[in-house]
Order: sequence, then C-alpha cells, then structure tokens
Amino acid sequence: MSDPLQAALKVAASGLSAQSTRLRIVSENLANAQSTGKTAGSDPYRRKTVSFATELDRTTGVETVRIAEVGKDTSAFVEEYEPSHPAADTRGYVKYPNVSMVVEMADMREANRSYEANLQVVKQARELIAMTVDLLRNS
Amino acid sequence: MQGIHLFDLASRQAEWLSVRQATVSGNVANANTPGFKARDVEPFHDVLAQSQLTMAATNPKHQEIDASGIAATALRKDAVTEQNHSKNTVNLEMEMVKSGEINREFALNTSIVKAFHRMMMSSVKG
Repeated sequence: MSDPLQAALKVAASGLSAQSTRLRIVSENLANAQSTGKTAGSDPYRRKTVSFATELDRTTGVETVRIAEVGKDTSAFVEEYEPSHPAADTRGYVKYPNVSMVVEMADMREANRSYEANLQVVKQARELIAMTVDLLRNS
Repeated sequence: MQGIHLFDLASRQAEWLSVRQATVSGNVANANTPGFKARDVEPFHDVLAQSQLTMAATNPKHQEIDASGIAATALRKDAVTEQNHSKNTVNLEMEMVKSGEINREFALNTSIVKAFHRMMMSSVKG
C-alpha cells in the first residue's frame, strides 16, 4: 500500500512539471513572435498550443496530469506590407507569426497561478508529514 | 482499553485526511485538464459508519486488496461550483480552502494523539 501523502506529493509534482512545460511553450511563442520565414513568401513561425490530459497512476491510484500534446495553432498569419523584407512575397507582403502578445501574457499568468497552487499543495503535504513525524519527537 | 481505541480512531482519521489531501492535490494538478471533474472523498462520519469489508481470499493466487487507503475510501464527484468552457469543474480557491481545512484537522488530530500519549506515558511512568 502506498502512502496517500506521498501520492499527493507525486500528483503535485506532475502538476508542476505540466505547468512548467506550458510556461516553456509560452516563452517559445513570445520569443518567436517576430520570426518570419527565410525565403520569399515562406511561412513564419506557427504558434504552439499545449493541452493537458489526466493519467491514472496505477501504483498509487490517484490521477496525475501529463502533457497530452503540443499542437499547432492553425489560425491565419498576420500579413504586413514590407516590400524590402527578404521574406516578402511577390505582392510585397510579409507573413508574421500568429502570436498575440495579450493571449500569451494571459496564458502565462494562468500557468503561473496553477504552478503556485501546486506548490501550495506540496507545502501542505510536507507540513502534514512533518506533523506526523513530530509525534515521535519530545514524547 | 478506551485509550487504545482512541489511537485507532485517530489513525483512521489521519488516513482519511491524507487520502483527502491526495484528492485535493489531484484536483489542483488537473485544474487545466479539459473535461476533468473535481473530486472529493466521502465525509469521515460516513467512512466511520460503514463496516470494513474485506474480500476473502479463497485461492492463493487471489491478489490482496488493501483494507485501508485510497482503495477503501470512496471518491465522489465534488459539488460543481464553477465550470469553464472546456468542461473542467476545478475551483482552485475551493481546493485551497479544503487544503486549509485538512491542515487544521490534521493538527488537531496529532495534538490529541500527543496529549493522550503523554497521559499514557505519565500513567506508565508514575
């Protein structure tokens, strides 16, 4: 039989890793917000999306979380008229990535909030374990 | 031997609280999983009321099922306080409240155990 408090720590750890992956994807999107293609008329960086899925941890019987997939955002690219740009097509338009700063910031805050919640759970579980161990102390 | 009975009760409540903490932690970890439904454990008095059923092993190949722990504590769907567009019903604030409740009850539990242990020790030592 596994200890439920250890299971709680394990689940929170899976949450932390999922949220940090999400934060990594957000930072990739933000870093590449202006990455155009190399050749004329080529596609720029496409925004990445991340989705989570529940996974049953069979040794402890609790539901952890994992990254289901890192997908691509299929929405249209932003086109700007810059004829002198090396990636401009025959009409003089350059395709810029479909990354919206506002959306990425919102996603970042959300990931941050979830990460903090998971961290709080870790602290809580550690406190409960410490309380139990303290029963052995000075008695 | 009522003192001993209290220790049994206290350890069962500590077990229940740990399972509840694991459930809360599962909810928090899945706070962004599409379609995830928040869970909670059955209230402690319900767990206490039901008699423990253990499966009889009639064959040596039968696997032992834990009498305590997560397998024995029934999980139920938590009351839906909010649901977002991806059909996720986890409310992080409610989970934090639950977590605080667990902490408080656990502190009470361990304090009582400590006090009873002290009482027993003082009666043994004289």
